[in-house]
Amino acid sequence: MDILEFLSYGFIRRAMTAGSFIAVLCSVLGVLLVLRRLSLMGDGLAHVTFGSVALGLAMKVYPLYVSIPVVMISSVGILKMIERAGIYGDAAIGIVSSLGIAVGVVIASASGGLNVDILSYLFGNILSIGDAEVYISMFLAALVLLTIFFYFDEIFSMTFDEEFAKASGINVNRINLILAVLTSVTVVLTMRLVGIMLTSALLILPAVTAFQIGRGFKHTLFIAAASGVTSVITGIFVSFCLDLPAGASIVLINFALFFAAFSLRRFNVFHG
Amino acid sequence: MRKPFHILCSALVVFVLLVSCETKKQTIEVNRNDKLKVVATIFPLYDFARLIGGEAVDVSLLIPPGTEPHSFDPRPENIVSAGRAAIFVYTNDTMEPWAGSMLKGLSSPGLVVVQAGRGIALTEEHRPDDGHDGHRHGHEDAPDPHIWLDFDKARKMVDTIVESFISVNPAKKELYLGNAKKLKDSLAGLDQKFSAALKTCKHNTIVHGGHFAFGYLAKRYGLKYISASGFSPDAEPSPQNLVRMSKTLKKEGLKHIFYEELVTSRMAEVIAKETGASLLLLHGGHNISKQELDNGTAFISLMERNLDNIKEGLQCRR
Repeated sequence: MDILEFLSYGFIRRAMTAGSFIAVLCSVLGVLLVLRRLSLMGDGLAHVTFGSVALGLAMKVYPLYVSIPVVMISSVGILKMIERAGIYGDAAIGIVSSLGIAVGVVIASASGGLNVDILSYLFGNILSIGDAEVYISMFLAALVLLTIFFYFDEIFSMTFDEEFAKASGINVNRINLILAVLTSVTVVLTMRLVGIMLTSALLILPAVTAFQIGRGFKHTLFIAAASGVTSVITGIFVSFCLDLPAGASIVLINFALFFAAFSLRRFNVFHG
Repeated sequence: MRKPFHILCSALVVFVLLVSCETKKQTIEVNRNDKLKVVATIFPLYDFARLIGGEAVDVSLLIPPGTEPHSFDPRPENIVSAGRAAIFVYTNDTMEPWAGSMLKGLSSPGLVVVQAGRGIALTEEHRPDDGHDGHRHGHEDAPDPHIWLDFDKARKMVDTIVESFISVNPAKKELYLGNAKKLKDSLAGLDQKFSAALKTCKHNTIVHGGHFAFGYLAKRYGLKYISASGFSPDAEPSPQNLVRMSKTLKKEGLKHIFYEELVTSRMAEVIAKETGASLLLLHGGHNISKQELDNGTAFISLMERNLDNIKEGLQCRR
């Protein structure tokens, strides 16, 4: 089977298109999260989603309608905890994510079983993306990029020094709220589309790759998005050539890109 | 002022704890009538035990309904319920790898542990792959645990379960043996229906968008069988495998692809969309939904529905 025939399959094309938009979306958000030491935000919110899906299934409501608001509240909660309770981001994420799992387990046990398997409901696969979901990923990517474009200066100054941003008159709370909402929607929806492993990986790896070789904030955002998209496209081709699962291949390619960027920096190609 | 308050609070907490434990204990007493208490891990075992024991046993399903057993991890309440039982039935160490360690942590010397699949050799899987070099997925060399989907092996499992019932409660021997015979007869009937119907089909390949569960069934009735992923539904299918499945559907002119129970059917939907095929349920029987459990769905009726769907999918004449 040659590459052209491979590309003639709809699910491969959908994986590449939706996957690329998701990669841009997650990589760009990832830069903001990683810089603020919230790398595990994706992972943490995924655990909250588990709890909220259990809640939705037990209440017999479409789980997404429960998940999105609950996850939004949780991500705002994480930011508030960092701000008010004076704990670090990793601990705040840990608290919220273990709470999410615990609530899910309690509900699943108390309701005496459910009609579908929660785990399978949560974890999508990049190969099983539908037509409507391609549009969802495009819409989300556009939304995130536009937000960053309009609030670029505010986000830039907040990401590096929140106190300074506050002092210079930026409405930090509002920007934080917007970012928390975007992150929540992104995590819930992309997890449904490509699974938690890939969502979490795309939030962290392209960002750290970009930090190795990025010059300036804009350049870093651009490199992150480019490396995310490259990893998705190459990952799908590699998975085809070597007959491996697609999601895992994309994560491995991401690591390879990170390693390459790290080596480039080490040998002073960029900063020589 | 503070100290009495603390003491009061602690006393209250202790009181609440005691009361809640007390009520729990009472409910246990109610359950503990003279019925033989049996805990079964997966649905087929639960159903067999229920049918063999009839009114004389109280069977509970360890894995909560709706949960996919391959991804199950026992929780404290499961371990406690297994500890209260007289008999614990599981399939084999491949199907429930967690059973062994769970039982080790349990100190109830009277508990009779039954491995229903005892003495049934598991085949190592070789997936029919159209001669492609496609054997790189996770569990290729692993033995196939889905023995209950071979109805002859299922009859042996019934024998093993009934033996254990008799050893624990010899007084009800006649009842157990009578019920077991009925169950084995209906399994044999099922087997005959499958082999008679599946000889008359236009196609002989089952394309399954789930995990590799029907290897024994396909082998018994001389069918070819390909699935999206390996033995566990957790394993991810590769793009090549999906392409292979689409090609098989087109080549054989099949109009139906099968999907599995409980987990989402997204993989099957993708291939269906690619080839214009429609979806049919092929129930592996691992577990059932809460709704089905409440309705008293039986293993035999699940399998009869499977036969209807296979007959439609493979275009059988009868």
